[in-house]
Amino acid sequence: MIRRYAALIRNAWLVDLQYRASIVLWLLWGVTEPAIALGIWWAIAGDGSVAGYARADFARYFFAVMLINQLTIAWDSWYLDRWIRDGELNFRLARPLHPAHEAVAENLAYKARTASVILVVWLVVAVAWPAVRLPFAPGRWAITAVAVVLAAAMRFFISFTTGLLAFWTTRATAIMELHAGVSLFLAGRIAPLALLPPAVAGIAGVLWFRSMLAFPVDLLTGTVQGTDAILRGLGGQIVWLGVWILAYRVAWSRGIRKYGAVGG
Amino acid sequence: MSSIVTAERLSKTFQVKVRDPGLRGALRALFRPHYRDVLAVRDVTFGIDPGEIVAFLGPNGAGKTTTLKMLAGLLYPTGGRVEVAGFIPWTGGPAFKRRIALVLGNRQQLVWDLPPEETFLLNRAIYDVGDGDYRERLAELVALLELGDVLQKPVRQLSLGERMKCELVASLLHRPPLLFLDEPTLGLDVTAQDAIRRFLIEYRDRHGATVLLTSHYMQDVTALASRVLMINRGRLLYDGALEALVARIARTKRIELVLGGGDGNRVTAEALAAFGEVKSFHFPNAVLEVRREDAPAMSARLLAALPVADLSIEDPPIEEVIRLAFARGGEEDE
Amino acid sequence: MEQWADETNAANLVMMFRVPTSAFRLLSAFWRLNVAEELQYRANFIASVLGTVFNLATALLTLSLFFHHTTTLGGWDYWEIVVLLGVFNALTGVIEAVLRPGIGQLAGEVRSGELDLVLVKPVDAQGFVSFRQLDIWRLTDIVLGLGLAGYALFRLGHTPSLAQLMAFGLTIAAAAVVVYAIWVVLMSLAFWFVSVENIAVLFDAVYEGARYPVSAYPGALRFLFVYLIPIAWTTTIPASALTGRLRPEIGLAAAAVAGVAFGLARALWRTALRRYAGASG
Repeated sequence: MIRRYAALIRNAWLVDLQYRASIVLWLLWGVTEPAIALGIWWAIAGDGSVAGYARADFARYFFAVMLINQLTIAWDSWYLDRWIRDGELNFRLARPLHPAHEAVAENLAYKARTASVILVVWLVVAVAWPAVRLPFAPGRWAITAVAVVLAAAMRFFISFTTGLLAFWTTRATAIMELHAGVSLFLAGRIAPLALLPPAVAGIAGVLWFRSMLAFPVDLLTGTVQGTDAILRGLGGQIVWLGVWILAYRVAWSRGIRKYGAVGG
Repeated sequence: MSSIVTAERLSKTFQVKVRDPGLRGALRALFRPHYRDVLAVRDVTFGIDPGEIVAFLGPNGAGKTTTLKMLAGLLYPTGGRVEVAGFIPWTGGPAFKRRIALVLGNRQQLVWDLPPEETFLLNRAIYDVGDGDYRERLAELVALLELGDVLQKPVRQLSLGERMKCELVASLLHRPPLLFLDEPTLGLDVTAQDAIRRFLIEYRDRHGATVLLTSHYMQDVTALASRVLMINRGRLLYDGALEALVARIARTKRIELVLGGGDGNRVTAEALAAFGEVKSFHFPNAVLEVRREDAPAMSARLLAALPVADLSIEDPPIEEVIRLAFARGGEEDE
Repeated sequence: MEQWADETNAANLVMMFRVPTSAFRLLSAFWRLNVAEELQYRANFIASVLGTVFNLATALLTLSLFFHHTTTLGGWDYWEIVVLLGVFNALTGVIEAVLRPGIGQLAGEVRSGELDLVLVKPVDAQGFVSFRQLDIWRLTDIVLGLGLAGYALFRLGHTPSLAQLMAFGLTIAAAAVVVYAIWVVLMSLAFWFVSVENIAVLFDAVYEGARYPVSAYPGALRFLFVYLIPIAWTTTIPASALTGRLRPEIGLAAAAVAGVAFGLARALWRTALRRYAGASG
């Protein structure tokens, strides 16, 4: 299996190499959104603070969002939608390899490239701008790494499962965009969850949205303190990961059954 | 020798949503959808022995690709049963998939932006081919297909023929006993078509692989297949040796003429009728139908007697051959 | 004599684009085909409207979130920014309806060589690529955007005077030209970075900055959005015309910026085209 993943990742890496410029663009998009949000909150915060966030806090928060979003993002719904509609799923199903592995490998290859760029950018900016520096805390960073892996896995299954909806509807990508629109608020991309109306932030915490991004970000910036809070956050991530794995398995078996009935 | 592929009363029915035009129809389709049955494959029965090269012949929409997909495990039958290499394809899983190679019409297995070699390496890993076996098999396939130095060029820069050859290499690295090919020569130039056909025969002779291909080209059948299964509208019309089919069905040939200017203007339909049955005549083009064995002689006479600018001898169109076969009451077996 | 001079001027104007009148017929033929095709897909219409409504709702929610914690943003009130949002939406509607469908295909055409088919046509390539396709569903964005702006003005209790409306007309036209110029620059980039399929992504990302008045941004971003990627001119200026904030000299500057931007963009395009024609010869 390792051999197959090595080959898949190598392939994906090489293809990405061909699309260097495209990847730079997507990277810029991943940076611009938090940058604009930071710009606005910077203006609002002024010399004071907003719900406990001063300018420096916002700066750290949004840089963390940049990095962690890049590490956890998944877009397989678009791939799957295309595979199913263009008949590209056929030859993949005829191989003795589950198509999901290819999607995972591609995901990893892309992230290895882009996340390392963002990390370097963050380090460089931190040299010139003290506000974005994080205290050196390897223990916290290790726990954050765990949370990031959990979040990335969950977002992959969300994306893949949504893509599988293409077996039944032509609007699978629209559903994914709806989810992305909602997660703009609930996952903490536009603002830290603490700045949302409490009821809304509550929903984000109860559902999987906080687990997607906000929790790992808060872990990294040190906003989440105490074993209790950390464990509850990680626990939430594990639960929702389980839920989405289950959703994926149901969608896959039903979807393949439908595919075998009508083909593609 | 027992069969490697067995199909017994194999059937596939699709349910297609029926939608009336207009807004009311659209609303009705949303809330109370109506379905119509499309019988793509009906009661098809055949058995294939290891090492055979078999062609599924039929016009577009006949059910060839659907049958092939059922053999490969991509679709499940709605009736009858099918067994391939000891597996039921639909539930065969990875063990079954290692025994087959499938090359479908759109041929998208090769990674577009990279050299074909990269896809080969990927397949080597996916099918768990040992390094020694990989090198040996790659060398053999490249030699047989005369691929030379295209392996380093990105796939998008290759010609259609080169791409098809590389598709074949990628599919055969794990040396499966079964090859399923959907229209393998479609869209290729004559040289490439010829090369592919010769390769398939050579490959089968060396490794005893069983080859099933679908096609609507007569030439694929004449050059390749010892046995042809004719399918039309989901039904198996003919299953047997090629010579018998040709002798029985395609008894005529078509002579397609292009008459020259000047004197050509004065050629009449009656004049043409002396040489054979006039199927169509719109100056300067004419199509005559003659008996198969008479075609060469008749062509010579035409060239001598009339101002012919261009002449070619063609098989009758496949639809006509099938229509004839169907009209004969759908015979099966030799 | 005077009439002849006028005709010459008009002809020169047309010559600038090398667009004979048959090109307009060509375009309308394309558009009619698009419309006929699209009208078959009524579901697309509903989906399109829903999509726009959803985007507007998201934008308003985001704005509400900001104003949960502040009373002004860059000196603008909530409803003033909603006017800007409406203008933003209308402009994106124009981009999505008219520009993106045609330009989106360009990168692929450069890669596959199909662009040559475009270049042999007897029309100006830039105009053709930009305007050849019309995504009519996106025109609803324009209607919704202007409607939202109108509603916001109502909530502000401000009815624009005739002068302000004229200023709006001028500045929104200038804005459209600036946006178009940015797109032409991006189109030209497709020639150098041949594998760039996602140029539109870059535009979307940066254009998000136009949702807010330029005064809301800190210095560095403000400089970026006014001088380098002049999106500040596209929404802040027309919106301030409607709300009466616009200083006349800024309005005229907007027209000047539009002219300069267009000139630079077209120069870049022609350079790119020359290089392409040289390379693929």
